[in-house]
Formats: sequence, structure tokens, C-alpha cells
Amino acid sequence: MKKFWKHANGRLKVGIIVTLIFLFLGFVVYNIPHVNPFSYNTYGRRLPPSLEHPFGTTSMGQDIFWLLIEAIHNSLVIGFIVAFIGTVVGVFVGLLAGFSGGWLDRILMVITDTFVVIPSLPILVLMTSLMRGSATVILMALVLAMFAWAWPSRQIRSLALSIKERDFIHTAWFSGEGTVQVIVTEILPYALTWSLSNFMNATLAAIASESSLAVLGLSPANLISLGNMIQWARERNAIFTQQWNWIGPPIVATVLLFIGLFLLITGYNDYLSMKRGR
Amino acid sequence: MKRRVSAFLVLPLLLLLVFTAANVYAVTEVGTPRRETLIVETQTPTDVPGQFNSYMQGTQMGFGIHQLMSAMMWEMDTVKGEQFGEVAAGFPESNEDFTEHIVRIREGIRWSDGEELNADDVVFTFNMIMDNPGIGASAYYNTVFESVEKVDDYTVRIKTRESFPRLALRFGVTIWGNDLRIVPEHIYSKVDDVTTFKDSNPVVAGPYTVHSYDPLGKWVLYERREDWQYSTVGVVTGKMPQAKYVLFKYVGDDTTRQMAMVNNEVDILCEVTPEMVEVMTAMNPNIACWYKDFPYATSDDPCSKGIAFQMAKEPFDNPDFRWGIALAMNFDEISLNIFDGVGRASALPILTATSAMQELYYIPLLPWLEEFELDLGDGTTFKPFDPDYAYRMAEILRAQGYDVPTEHDELIDMFGIGCWKYAPDVAEKLFIKAGLEKRTDGWYFKGEPFTINMTYLADTEAQAGRGLIAAYDQLVKFGFNCNLASESSATWDSNAATGNFEIAGYWPTGGITRDLYSQISGWDADLIVPLGERGSGQGSRWRNEEATRIIHELAKVSPDSDESYELGMEFMKVAIKDLPFIGFHSGVKFVPTNSTYWTNYPSAENPYNGPWWWWSCFKYITTEITPVQ
Amino acid sequence: MSKGVKQLKFSKYLGLRILTWALTIWIGVTFIFFVPRMFPSDPVENMIGRIQSRSGQMDPVEMEALRKTLRVQFGLEGSLMEQYLSFLKKGLLQFDFGPSLMSFPTPVGDIIKTYLPYTLGLMLVTTVMAWLIGNFIGLQAGFRKHRLSSKILEAVAICIYPVPYFIVALILQIVFAFILNWFPLQSTIVTMGGFGMFIRSLIRASILPAISLLLLGTGWWIISMKSLSGTVAEEDFVLYARYRGLPETRIGRSYVLRNSIITQVTALAMSLGGVFSGSIMTEIIFGYPGVGTLIQKAILQSDYNMILGCITISIVAISTATLIVDLIYPLIDPRIRYS
Repeated sequence: MKKFWKHANGRLKVGIIVTLIFLFLGFVVYNIPHVNPFSYNTYGRRLPPSLEHPFGTTSMGQDIFWLLIEAIHNSLVIGFIVAFIGTVVGVFVGLLAGFSGGWLDRILMVITDTFVVIPSLPILVLMTSLMRGSATVILMALVLAMFAWAWPSRQIRSLALSIKERDFIHTAWFSGEGTVQVIVTEILPYALTWSLSNFMNATLAAIASESSLAVLGLSPANLISLGNMIQWARERNAIFTQQWNWIGPPIVATVLLFIGLFLLITGYNDYLSMKRGR
Repeated sequence: MKRRVSAFLVLPLLLLLVFTAANVYAVTEVGTPRRETLIVETQTPTDVPGQFNSYMQGTQMGFGIHQLMSAMMWEMDTVKGEQFGEVAAGFPESNEDFTEHIVRIREGIRWSDGEELNADDVVFTFNMIMDNPGIGASAYYNTVFESVEKVDDYTVRIKTRESFPRLALRFGVTIWGNDLRIVPEHIYSKVDDVTTFKDSNPVVAGPYTVHSYDPLGKWVLYERREDWQYSTVGVVTGKMPQAKYVLFKYVGDDTTRQMAMVNNEVDILCEVTPEMVEVMTAMNPNIACWYKDFPYATSDDPCSKGIAFQMAKEPFDNPDFRWGIALAMNFDEISLNIFDGVGRASALPILTATSAMQELYYIPLLPWLEEFELDLGDGTTFKPFDPDYAYRMAEILRAQGYDVPTEHDELIDMFGIGCWKYAPDVAEKLFIKAGLEKRTDGWYFKGEPFTINMTYLADTEAQAGRGLIAAYDQLVKFGFNCNLASESSATWDSNAATGNFEIAGYWPTGGITRDLYSQISGWDADLIVPLGERGSGQGSRWRNEEATRIIHELAKVSPDSDESYELGMEFMKVAIKDLPFIGFHSGVKFVPTNSTYWTNYPSAENPYNGPWWWWSCFKYITTEITPVQ
Repeated sequence: MSKGVKQLKFSKYLGLRILTWALTIWIGVTFIFFVPRMFPSDPVENMIGRIQSRSGQMDPVEMEALRKTLRVQFGLEGSLMEQYLSFLKKGLLQFDFGPSLMSFPTPVGDIIKTYLPYTLGLMLVTTVMAWLIGNFIGLQAGFRKHRLSSKILEAVAICIYPVPYFIVALILQIVFAFILNWFPLQSTIVTMGGFGMFIRSLIRASILPAISLLLLGTGWWIISMKSLSGTVAEEDFVLYARYRGLPETRIGRSYVLRNSIITQVTALAMSLGGVFSGSIMTEIIFGYPGVGTLIQKAILQSDYNMILGCITISIVAISTATLIVDLIYPLIDPRIRYS
């Protein structure tokens, strides 16, 4: 671990720190007992930041700090579920299709292609405008995940096709390794870089999709997410009434979260290539 | 060096000059002089650009069409709450049993192509509706009218199948507009199918005609008729609409709307939130609402917002349960959460506390309300009415630094006669009486954990949406387990008709005329259909024999009679006892205007009309709005 | 392998690929046909609701009659299967989706024809521009990752890309349209005042949406190209080329670019296919006319025919793009054979 840290480059370090801060906020601080932050009139309305309320309160008398913590938690949960499902299913389907070839490949690709070609945002608008009443964090994540796996699986398949033709694979093949073994030992490490970067993208894409839906007024009305928090502030005109302590935190948090994840992944890529180069 | 400095000074000055000069001769995006163009916001872009025939499906009347062009039989004086003849020269003269009605037509009105508007046009319009099943109102007109015929050029005889005492109320404007709009016979009689005739270059009787429109549906430019004195408005008032052009335009979402208003790119906005008013008035001194200062908004929109119940479901069918809900909510907090306390409380079900209705019904009901008692089921009773709301809210707002009047009458006008008390302990008793059970882990009904599904309409009325979210917050605090859902209008309209909701924030309310029939006729228990089927009205499915009897009785009574008023009063008492709807506030509208280019908009200081730009009476406002010199 | 066998193999591949293409479209379209119809929302009720919510009063008898009239007019009378079959016949084969329900009775096709050029114009230009700029910068940054300039460029991309799109759009709108007043707040396109006025208004209306799309699009291409070319640059064959002493620019062009561009070309083809529905947010925020807003409106008003029309076109476009990519793939990467 110490060794890892020593060899890690600056970006990886910053990325890890920022991401850890968010994980800490979203999963540790989140568990400190607090009142339901959604509840109206818990405190005075439009209080400025103070020791008791680090970011002040909203026009509805909600504590912005706790809203933000809850929003980070929910957004991360949505992002991770979507990214996890998307990446795992995507890599699995992509590799399977790319390496098996034949009819299995075709069937898998028809299904994948169908999900690639159906434009996701309109369908998400369609789905959420149906179920926003009953939507929970998990349900929201599942709907978003519906469109998160197809693209990576296509990409991974392309990758697999291109790798399949390379010499070291042929060598492995000739030396008698089975397909599964080849995939696990030779391809998976190769696909891992891509998967991790995809995981990061998928997390962000999911959080961004959710915010887009929130801005269109389609995210569940009582789901505290980063997107909804921005939208609620916008609905109460926080931009023009200059309640920066309200509209600011969710925006800054979203931006920082992504920068953190991004630095983490590029830093990690660099770290890997450096290790390989040595 | 010196020269450069002076150049730096001169350049901005020059630019400033250019810009101010540009402002004087500013033109709108559609190429008309800004000073001659009144720009009015329309709330949604039209889906059918270039379609001005009101009898074709989907024509968006609020896009200036009925505000500037349509010819109505009877129009509404929104200030007095009385109708007057527009195409008609007066009210119908009916026979004893209200089956035969003589309507006289106003002389002197001409269509924009110079033809005279006379009895032929009126008779043709009625018969066109009845003969074309493709027109939405056709079937209904056939059930009402036996015949409509011409007596002479300016007299029409209308025969109804049954006694129909409310001809002007039903076929003239009361709220917003009316679907009877007289069309030019010499044009429409030559059209093969009037339900597919777009009428892109309409011949109208109103004071404006279409100059041009956006094929993408975002704006329509209207131009004043050169012979405006022969238009409906010209003949009725003798006054000229001041603006040569009126541009109806979709301005965009809330962020864009307020930016456009601050930058003087639009003169009239339809409806905004108090947060927007605060910002806009601070950034541009020319922007004002109905009241120049607090509370800014008018409370006279006839649709009160509150919560509706699905009364075909248990336990929502139980009046004790509904009263429990009313008493479990702290209205002061709800009020602050909706529009920061602004708005006239309109606690009574179905009837909205507009100024007129407050005088006619709410205040006369006050003694009865104060004595009204609920039976709590444990031998005790409770008086639920709280007349102190106005004073309390005034106190709260004064503490926040607002200038709130102290005069009793002014306070009552501003905040209403009162609301339902906040009494969670009483509410608990009522819920128990209604069959609910309170256990340590929450409320149960019939042995099952009890959850309330609450619905509101997304992206339309902020007042209704915020009201329901505030109610959700209150009921959660009370200890109920609630779900909160927002629905798009397409989903909601379907759910409302089939009864697929439990508690919803919408507005089956109204009240503009002394006669309540048109307002309460939709609550007739005979209209109830089973859950899942689409009814016609009665989405709430309120089954009350007495109310239904009153509605049926009222149908046969002349709207001008004392009996009509007494039946209305009786209906209100029945409704209050049963509480099919809990009202929060009357329709509170923040309707900002910008007096950079135009002035003399209707306002509290000069209330010659209501600020209802989206109603058909807007044409009578255009004669009063004057250009800034 | 003889030439004949190769050709036979290719035509077999082509046949299968086209079959896949057709299947994809069919499954996708079927999905779009049935999903909206599962919803409780209903275009007829919505139309009645719209009429009623405005006038606030409608007689019960009147409402029932109106409901019947609308059902017949909207063609929602038959069973679901009948509607589906007639859609397959007309919609897929003749691209006739019937009348729009919200703009009844204008055909869906006519409305899409009005809106499509705006979306296409804006999206094609910005997508291609963003791709070119982004990949150029990304390649530089990935290939020469230790240069200061590439670090700065990347840092800028990292800082812009993550900002939620609507925030970027909103900031652009507030700064350039509201404060500086350079551009209109909402796109107003004047089509009736002559060609000059139309072009002027179109350009004025398009600049802000285009900038917003470029900012984010470029950011994404920079980031993805950088990580791709960064990986390729570490590959053995690149190292080998370096050992051979080939000039850096040549390595960049013929090795790194050639090997990392494949994924990017795929992605570009896909984004081009996606332009039909990809601009919902842009169109809504800037009030720019286009298919995105059309879809959103159609969904909110349950205009089944319009939803079908817009999304079918989008599905056909994307799957055709994918088809073309797959067919030209081996041309770019000779290591892949048609199989």
C-alpha cells in the first residue's frame, strides 16, 4: 500500500483523495443521525450559513448541508448501481459475443444493437414520466441501467475483435488455452483499463442523466439527488435571488465529484502504463 | 498615449449612443417597430401553427385567437362579475318556462372583410355546430337545442328541448372564454368540412387580424384592423385598441421568462412565482404586479387550489377521515411554503373565495361556520373553523418586514375570512372514528399499514404543486406514511378521470357568478362511474344525495332569482359538512407587466379589468393599454 | 483463399449483417410502439383535460360526446394488435405514421419535416466540429502527454466536461443573452420575412446552442481520445517504432492515430446517428426548434404517433450508422476480416 502510494502520480493521488472524500460524505457522514432533510420548516427559512447550518437553509426551511449529504449519497448510489450493472453486463456480453462469434454473437448483437439504437433520453423521459410516482433510488437506477450496458458491450466487442487477431492471443490459443481461459488471463486485464474508465463514465453519465431528467422535472418528486437539489433551487429561483449557498453546493459537488473520478481514472491509467513500462 | 486614452473614452460613449439610438428605433424580432408592438406571453407554444379555426381540433385559443379575434355572444365584465352582450345586443328574452329565447344581435359590427355581422352568421354558427359531429360540442348542442332560426336580420329565435334558464351563462363567457364563437357565414358556408378548415388567414369580428405567424408555433403577430371601429370592441366601447401590433409569443422557461422581462423583451407575462417577482421588480423598476407592493398578487382567480380526494376509495370516502386530514395540517406553514404567505385563504370546498364570492357566500356563512361542530366519536365535539388566520399571517409577515395593512376589512380581503384549525389531537380522534388505528410503528387501516398516495401535476400551476408538496410535508410530520408523485398532464388527466389517485393537488373549483349552477353541476352523484371507467366530471366521485338533489333543483331555477342564491347557500353547507375538497387559497396570480413601452395596465389602483391576459376579455384591455411617450 | 470464396464470404456476411440491421429496427420499433400504450396516460383524456382546464367547465354529456368523437378521429378504436399491424404496414414500410394527435390532423411526417432540418443542421455541424477538434487535441495530449500544453488542454477539458450540461447552457445564456445581450434569450426564427431575415435570425438563434454543444462535445472527445491514444502509445509496436528511430510525427500519425481512431470513428458514426434525438436539453433550454422538443412534447401529451415517428427515424438512423461502421470497419483495421 505504501509502495503504491509512493509510485502513484499526482493525479491519481488527488483523484483518490477527492473520491474518498465523497465516499466519506455519502456513506459515513450520511449515517450520522440527522432529521429528514426533506422535511419543510424544520428550521427558519433562508438562513445564512452558520455553525449550526454550514450552508444555511432553503426557502422551505430545510438544512442545505444535510440535503447535500443525502443528495450525494443517493446520486452515488444511483451512479454506482448503473455503472456496475452496465459495466459487468457490458463486458460480459461484449467478450462473449466477440470471442464466441457465430450465431451467439449475432443474437447478442441484435439485442445489444436494439438497445444502442433506441435513443435513451426520450425513452428515459417516457419511462420516468410513467413511473415517477413510484420511483425509488433503486428503480431509478434500474431504468438508467437499461441503457448503460449496450454501448460498453459493443465497444468491448470491437476491442475483443481487434485483440483476437493479435499475436499473443494466437500464441495462447495455439498453446491450448480454452476460450474462457484466454479471456480471463489475456483479455480481461486488457479490457480492465477500458472497463474502469467506462465505470467512471457510466457513473457520471448516470448522475448526469438523472440530473437532466430532474431539470426536465421528471425525477421522482421526493428523491433527494444532486439533480433534484439543483432543480428545486431553480424552481424557487435561487439563481436570481442569489441564494448561492443553496444552488452552489450541489453544482460544485457534481463538478468536483466528476473531476475526482476522472483524475482517479486517468491517474490510474498512467500508473498502470508506468508499471508496465518498468 | 494621450490620444489612445481618449479613444478608449470615446469608443464606449459612441457605442452607448448607437445603442440608445437603436433602442429608440428598436424593432422586434418579427420586424415591427417595438413602440407600436405590445408583446404578450403565451404559456405554451402552439402545436398547430397557422390554424385559427376554433372549430378544428387542437386550435390553441389562448394564443391570442380568442383574446383578439373571436366574436363571443356574451362577454364577461370580470370586475363586476356580470356578463354583457358582445355580438348579442342584450340578454335573451325567454318565455315563462325557458324553452324559447329571443336573442337580439348588436347592429353595426362588420367582419374584417367588410361584410356585416348579422343574424345569418349566428344562426349559421349554431347550425354548423349541430350538423357537424366532428365538432367537439356538437352532440351536446343537439341535446340542448331544438332549433335556432332567424327572425329578422338582427333577431334570432332559439328553442331549447328542455327548460334552459342559463343560456347566456352557458353559451357566453364566464371564466376564460366559451366554445361558442360566431363565424362568418359567407366564408364558412363555402368550406367543405369545417372541422379540417385551418383558416390560416381568418376573417374576424374582433379588433385584430393575423399579420403573420411562426410555422414552428412560437409566435403569432396580430395587426389592428384599419376599420377597428366596426369590430366588436369598436362597436361595444367606441375605443380604439392602442397597439398597432400585438405579438403573442412563447417566451420559454421560468429562467428565460424573467430575463426577457427584465430586458424589456416582453411586456406582459402570464403567471410567475413570488420569487421571480422579487427579482424582476428589483432589477427593473418598470415591472409591477397587480399590487405595486406587497402582496403583489391578485387573489381573484376563480380556481382555488387545495387537495382533492378519491372518494370511491376507503377510507377517503369517509367525511371523518377527510376532516381529520384538514385538521392534521398546519395551514399557516402551508401558506408560507406556497407563496410566502401571500394569498386569500379559501378553505371552503368547491367555491373559490374571489372578492365577489367572499362577499356573496363566504362572509354571510361566517356566523354559521363559527358555530359549526364536528362529532369526534368519543362524545365530544369540536369547532373546526379558525377566523384568526388573517391576523396571525399579517403578524408573521409584518415581523418579516413587509408592510401589511391593519384595517380589518383590508386584512380579510387580503388573507380571507379564515381557515381550518390546526388540531392534530382532534385529527387523531377523527381518524380513529374513521376506522384507522394508531400503533407504535404508525397508522393502520383494516389491519394493514396505511399509506397515502399523493399526486400533483408537474410543470403547470406552481400554486397547486407547492400546495400538495406542503400538504405531503404536513401529513408526514403528523405521522402518516405518504408517497409523493408528480404526473404529466397526459397521465394525470387519465388518472383523474378513472379515479386512479388518493389525494391530489388540483382544482375542481371555481366561482365567478352569483348563480352557482355551472360551478357545482359537475358534482352531481348521478355522474359517478365505477373506478377505472372514465366518467364525465366527478373525477372525485363524491356521493352525496342532498347535494345532488340541490343541483337538480337548481337546474330548473332562473339564475337571477333569490331561490338560486338560497340553493347555493344550502349546497355550501352540505359541502362543508362533508368536505369533498380542502381549499387552501383562491387562485393567487402574480401577473407582471412591464411599463417601459406600454402603460396603464389594469392594476389594483386602476382595476378597470382583471389581469387575465389569457381570457377572451383581453380585447377590452387593449383599448386601455397606452404607449409610453 | 481464392477470390471467389472471399467474395462469397463477404456477401454472406453482408446478407447477415443486413438481416441483423432489419431485426434491430423491428425490435426497437415494436418496443416503442407498445411501451407508451402501457401507460395510464391517454391522448384523448389529455385533449379533454386541456380543453377543460382552460374553460373550467364542461357539461358531462358534452364530455362523453367529445370523448367518443376523439377516439374515432385519433384512430384508437381497434384492438392493440390491429393498431400494431397497421402501424407496421404504414409506418415502417412507407414512413407514414398517421396524424399527429396533438396537432390533429396534420400528418406526423409533415411536422417532423418542419423540425428536422433545424436539429440536423445544428447537431451535424457541432458533432463533427467537436469530433475534429476534440480528437486533434486529445491525440496531442495522449501522445505527448508530458508536454505542458497538453496538460493545460486536458485540465481545461476536465474542468468543462463534468459540469452538467444545463448549467453550462444556463451560464452561457445568462452571460451572453441576458447580461451582454448579444444573442436572443429564446431562439426566434423568422421564416416569413424573406430569406435574409431568416438566415440572420437562424444564425443568431444557433450560436449559443452550438457553443454549448461544442464545449461539452469537445471535452468528451479530448478525454476519450487522450486515454485511447495514451494506451496505444504504450503498445509494443509504438515502442518498437521509437527504437527504430522513426520521427515522432510519423509515429503519431501512422501508428497512434491509426490505431486509436477506430474506436473514435465508431463513436462518431454512432453520435451522428444519435443527432435525431440528441438535442432535447439544448432545444428546451434555448428554445431552439427541433425534433428533441417535439419528442418531449409528444411524450408529455401522449401523442403516440408522434413518439413513434420521431423515435423510429432515430432508430433507423442509428442502426444504419452502425451498419455502415461495421461494413467499413475492416477497411480501417485490416486485421479484422469479415466473419
